[in-house]
Amino acid sequence: MGSDIFEIGVNFIKMVLIFVMMVQLVPLLVWVERRGSAYIQNRFGPNRVGPLGLTQLLADAVKFLTKEDFMPERGYRFLFLAAPVVALIPAALAFGAIPLSHPIFVEPFEWLGQTWGPYQFDFQSYKIGIGIVFVLAVSSLAAYSLMLAGYASNNKYSLYGALRASAQTISYELAMGLSIVGILLLFNTFDFSEMIRLQSGPLSFHVLGTVYTFDFLPNWGIFYQPLGAILLLAAMFAETNRLPFDLPEAEAELVAGYHTEYGGIKMNMFYIGEYGHMLVASGLMVTFYFGGYTLYPFLTPGTVSSWFAGSTPTMTSVWTSLILHVVFLTKVLLFLWLFIWVRWSLPRFRYDQLMDLGWKTMLPWALGNTIVTAIVIFIMRTSW
Amino acid sequence: MLIADKFLRIGPEHYLALSAILFSFGMIAVMMRKNVIVMLMGIELMLNAVNLSFVVFARETGALNGQIMVFFVMTIAAAEAGVGLALAVAIYKKFKELNIRHFEKLKG
Amino acid sequence: MIYEAISFYALALFLTFFAYKTISATNPIHSALYLVLTMLGLGAVFFSLGAHFIAGVQVIVYAGAVMVLFVMVLMLFDLKSELQAFSKGMLSGFLKVFSAAALAGVAIGVISHSVQVVDGASWGVGDPNADVTKYLSILLYTNYLFAFEVLGVLLLVVAIGAVALSRMKGGTHADRR
Repeated sequence: MGSDIFEIGVNFIKMVLIFVMMVQLVPLLVWVERRGSAYIQNRFGPNRVGPLGLTQLLADAVKFLTKEDFMPERGYRFLFLAAPVVALIPAALAFGAIPLSHPIFVEPFEWLGQTWGPYQFDFQSYKIGIGIVFVLAVSSLAAYSLMLAGYASNNKYSLYGALRASAQTISYELAMGLSIVGILLLFNTFDFSEMIRLQSGPLSFHVLGTVYTFDFLPNWGIFYQPLGAILLLAAMFAETNRLPFDLPEAEAELVAGYHTEYGGIKMNMFYIGEYGHMLVASGLMVTFYFGGYTLYPFLTPGTVSSWFAGSTPTMTSVWTSLILHVVFLTKVLLFLWLFIWVRWSLPRFRYDQLMDLGWKTMLPWALGNTIVTAIVIFIMRTSW
Repeated sequence: MLIADKFLRIGPEHYLALSAILFSFGMIAVMMRKNVIVMLMGIELMLNAVNLSFVVFARETGALNGQIMVFFVMTIAAAEAGVGLALAVAIYKKFKELNIRHFEKLKG
Repeated sequence: MIYEAISFYALALFLTFFAYKTISATNPIHSALYLVLTMLGLGAVFFSLGAHFIAGVQVIVYAGAVMVLFVMVLMLFDLKSELQAFSKGMLSGFLKVFSAAALAGVAIGVISHSVQVVDGASWGVGDPNADVTKYLSILLYTNYLFAFEVLGVLLLVVAIGAVALSRMKGGTHADRR
């Protein structure tokens, strides 16, 4: 985690800040969702409390906190209380592994009569070499919170909802895992930072020993793997239990799912988990297919740091990271808006349609994408 | 001093002892429990303990063949769990109970 | 050294405690949930042993897929705590526990007496930054390619077998057709 007290302290503060950032994006997203849905459906949405209805969130938070804290009488108390907490963990852990910006390099400096540094602070909670495997692993644990909630409520509708939800989650996990194999083969790495570094240049690829370069296009994964991107996006919608895959909730035609018995702040924690999942999904989409925190040819680590040619290396690095972080956040917010847009535009699938889509359509397409990608890469990169 | 050193200097033998303990827990689950699914879980626990010793030996020898074996064990464990659960579902459908003693009535 | 000892003993305590709870909980669902925690703990042990990729696969395959399946099947049956979770008979129960404990004891005894044999020089020397995953995949697709292919066939057979078992009209529920 660090070699001295300064590095450990900064890394610790960084982890806390990133977690708080994730949690604080949730009320903002709820506001965007409610105002956005109102905009799409030609309504007003919450507009009374504060400017643009922004403090509605505060009022909601107070309401959630002061609600009666009830519990099903014959449920399993510990599991019932644990389920909302478990819902938070996968999203928080997975979000910590995604690089949010360029690492900050700090030159050696004098402080408290001692020389500190040099340091390299990654703009993420923790850097793991097998980043993608880690993210897949922790997000595969998300099914447990649904099952715990449904089981511990001692309510047959909750139980059915939990079975629906967890069957959906593990079905689409396969398609999700397979759809990113193409991009892994392409970039030849499990490491997010390495993947983003490879995407920060111009579009260029080998064809039978010759290198073709297109200067006006970035080297993003979407240009190589459009099918994989679409499959991953669809699987992510299913994993986050958002419309059009929100059968677990389906409050209109089925009884609401695994969270039927939950209310108040416990319900709210499920929401935070769901929005955290959306955040992770958007971050993964951006990192795999849309260049992460870089935007060739305008905003790459090289070009941005050349703007600050006059200042010290440390300040240059800090400003570069912050500007690139804004780029990353903008891309992620665009994807989050896509999630909200789709939710208020598409109707819900029927359950058999959902299962058919997952097993009979997306899985074969993802497999085919993997095989074709492997063959094409083999042909292209071999010098015959 | 020597004893403390033996306990504090973590080497392969500590991990192998942990693996042996976990294996025997799995074995007890298979022998003592009557529920088919819990027995399957005992088998999973035993396989996991074996995986642990494979990884320890892979690190101890410096070769990765042990980790490859872990892959194979995991795949086989997943396959075994699939078939075992299908059998358990079949038993439950017939007897409304998951007791192992019903297995003998499955023939024919 | 001391940190390694602390982390090892903490993990070992975690693992043995939850493994014990797995076999002693009378409610099968609780049993399965304790086993999930055991699997996660084993993933942490693999990670601390430097097998990062194996640790990730352990969590994906065991905790994320196999145990989800177990818990789902158990929830489908909606089992409550079992009245008779353990097999009957004091003597046979004692014998069973004794035999398992004897096995563990013999194993630990053998291990602790073979320290000189087991304690290889390369323990802990391994390069933490070595690209283990890469060498693992190279090994898997060269030396163990045949085994890998056979495993693929095995999985196909198992998938077909599981579907056939759970949809079988004859056999186990022929009389309830």
